[in-house]
Amino acid sequence: MKNEDSQLELLSNDNETSSRRKFFKRTASMGAVAAATVLTSKDAMADDPLIMHHVKWGQKLGDPVTKNRYGMPSAYEHNNTRRNTKLLASGNFQASIAVTPIHESEGIITPNGLFFSRCHGGVAHVDPNEFRLMIHGLVEKDIVLTLDQLKRYPRVTRTHFIECPANGGQEWRGPQFNSLQFAKGFMSSAEWTGVYIKTILADLGIKPDARWMLAEGSDNSEMGRTIPIDKVLDDAMLVWGQNGEALRPEQGYPVRLLVPGWEGNLCVKWLKRLEFASEPFYCKEETAKYTALKKTGKAIQHFYANEVNSTVVSPSPEKPWTDLKKGDLVEIEGLAWSGMGTITGVDLSFDGGKNYVEAQLKGLILPKSWTRWSFMYKYEGKPLLLTSRAMDDAGYIQPTVDEETGVLGVEGVYHRNGVETWEVTAEGKVNHVQLRS
Amino acid sequence: MFNLDRKLVISATAVTFAALFAVGCGGESTATPSKMTYANGKATIDGGSYHPIVDGKTGPYAVNTQKQSGFTYGRKPTANEIAAWDKDVMPDGTGLPEGSGSVEEGEELYEAQCVMCHGDFGSGGGGYPSLSKGNAVEGQKTLKNQRDKPDNDGPIRVFGSYWPQASTMWWYIQSGMPHPNTKSLTDDETYALAAYMLNINEMSIDGELVDDEYVLDREKFLKIKMPNEKGFEPNIDGPTALDDVRAYYANPTNFGAIKVDPKKRCMKDCQKPTAKVVRIKEGGGIRDFLPPISIVRDLPKKEGGFNPKAVYESTCAMCHSSFLSPGSSDWAGYTGKGIDKVYANGIKGTEGGMPAKGGSDLSDADFKLVVDYLISGK
Repeated sequence: MKNEDSQLELLSNDNETSSRRKFFKRTASMGAVAAATVLTSKDAMADDPLIMHHVKWGQKLGDPVTKNRYGMPSAYEHNNTRRNTKLLASGNFQASIAVTPIHESEGIITPNGLFFSRCHGGVAHVDPNEFRLMIHGLVEKDIVLTLDQLKRYPRVTRTHFIECPANGGQEWRGPQFNSLQFAKGFMSSAEWTGVYIKTILADLGIKPDARWMLAEGSDNSEMGRTIPIDKVLDDAMLVWGQNGEALRPEQGYPVRLLVPGWEGNLCVKWLKRLEFASEPFYCKEETAKYTALKKTGKAIQHFYANEVNSTVVSPSPEKPWTDLKKGDLVEIEGLAWSGMGTITGVDLSFDGGKNYVEAQLKGLILPKSWTRWSFMYKYEGKPLLLTSRAMDDAGYIQPTVDEETGVLGVEGVYHRNGVETWEVTAEGKVNHVQLRS
Repeated sequence: MFNLDRKLVISATAVTFAALFAVGCGGESTATPSKMTYANGKATIDGGSYHPIVDGKTGPYAVNTQKQSGFTYGRKPTANEIAAWDKDVMPDGTGLPEGSGSVEEGEELYEAQCVMCHGDFGSGGGGYPSLSKGNAVEGQKTLKNQRDKPDNDGPIRVFGSYWPQASTMWWYIQSGMPHPNTKSLTDDETYALAAYMLNINEMSIDGELVDDEYVLDREKFLKIKMPNEKGFEPNIDGPTALDDVRAYYANPTNFGAIKVDPKKRCMKDCQKPTAKVVRIKEGGGIRDFLPPISIVRDLPKKEGGFNPKAVYESTCAMCHSSFLSPGSSDWAGYTGKGIDKVYANGIKGTEGGMPAKGGSDLSDADFKLVVDYLISGK
């Protein structure tokens, strides 16, 4: 079993029995082959060398526990990563977005290192010892808090997605991205820990004419947004914990605003200031941007909630069905989410949203959270148009592309939640398409 | 009114419900149901559902129902501290300082600190936003444009034609610009750049065109009327604003949403007969993904040494993409005094907007390699 390490090579899947036989002969002395290739065969004609021989990591000592004191993913997972495109950058990658590999997502939590990252002046690196949070304006008592003082308030922990309202916004006029990561990856989900702003305000006292709250970041761009008091007193939080650890710098370390279900842009990162006022602030990112121009020529401003939405995750353009053969049983799996409530159901169509059957929800079904859905399917090797359509407990259902553009036109950029369609070809390849007039 | 709301919202035991048309929450039977109204009986502000605290739970989450007020953390900020941080500028002039600046001064500042990204006369380019596309009033008339046919022009959404308030521009220039060195402009410089913005958008104040001789000050600034001030919905101004927003989102057709009784949702023939499969055009779509998409599980290729081009892309391209870009012939005007002078300027930074080492923490030796790449383009 020497020289095996040098023989690591990539092998493509191949369902032809004859070539599989050749393959096993050819690789009989190899120590490492793609396990998936072997397991596609239920009647392998040769013994699998991965079973017949000791694997290379099985005989020598592994790493000491002192290595990687902060754990890292397996080196083999390096392609499971955030990605960029220059077309989504304001000239540079400091005012830009890195999107989440939804096609590799598992469950309803995004690992912190893969959480999508949008910033308007680069990722700030805040010294937590120099962090100050000021709350002032139309409150009875102004306050300045250090990070330690803020974290003394009673904690709440909630699972919510954060979605950029431009998720899918490049595709109002037709599909652009043959990729789930780019078509739907302007969002991620995490378990957040922090304090309800209403808890802090209970002591500060809000003046009667306080209708709006400005949240402002301390970063290069001092990104700010105006939030109505109703949301502040409902479930808006100041969060410092993300999936059991401190926020990552890309998510606003040490403290960001969390406005569950609403535009990700409202969840101001690297937070420094909350000001209460009787009139809204007209920040740049709620006037020049994050306003949705309708075909009437009027634009929707303060377009808060990300509406009910869904996507098929498996298969996807990145993870097609090219390894399946006719008669295979396969799970069609997806995500559904709504910033306006809890997912109550998902329907699945095999003809692009003409006719639907009910899919099943699975796992935790939480308000304003990613929710997994599933449908067991016998693959027939025929072309399909897979379309999912979600509903929420506020009573909303995803519109068709025609229904949505009929009201909003094609220039809105933000808040596109029309149904999405994957075309599955006879070969099992998956392409992003839309059904529209 | 809000004090009352707050008590109702916060107190776990005092909550009473005035749900008018509550919709049951599906899924988890252990979760408390959601409502479409807050405890004060008003509809939710976003048209979504809401979870009051009932029997120690909000939706699926258990909560501590003990008293959660009376905390004494933190301190009162001083008046100076509030003034140091409270720099927002509101449409009514709150926060807008006294000062003045001319179009001429603004153009000079623009050429020195802004043009490398925003282009000549605010034309934009390289992904950076355009600041002007000609006359603001004319531009505003394009907002009904729809690119729903291949040859249609789109709407013009720049400062003059689209933004509802000028205060946003003043505030943003001073807090967020110039991008590599924000919060560096004085009040007078900000007025000068604001004047230049009005000039290139061919705007008038109080009937007077902001021409090349114009001098802007606070009093004049507050008289600016943006052509698209009334171009936004719902109303967010004045004492009725929150109820106006509430009413807007109570009507799904305002924002392209659809509500349906789940039992009556369409399950058959749900697409218009005219709906056809639209594919990404052959060779079209967006595909410059970094890194390229792959789902292969292999070991990453080893990075080969220092890569000046990668540093350029992550650090320098912000300014050096449209101005003194890699291999640009304009470099000839800078290398005449010798390459060492160029290195020294780059390492120390210049008043023309070049931050020391471009804001990077490279060694001098590596930085020089990046400079070499910028000049040669190789």
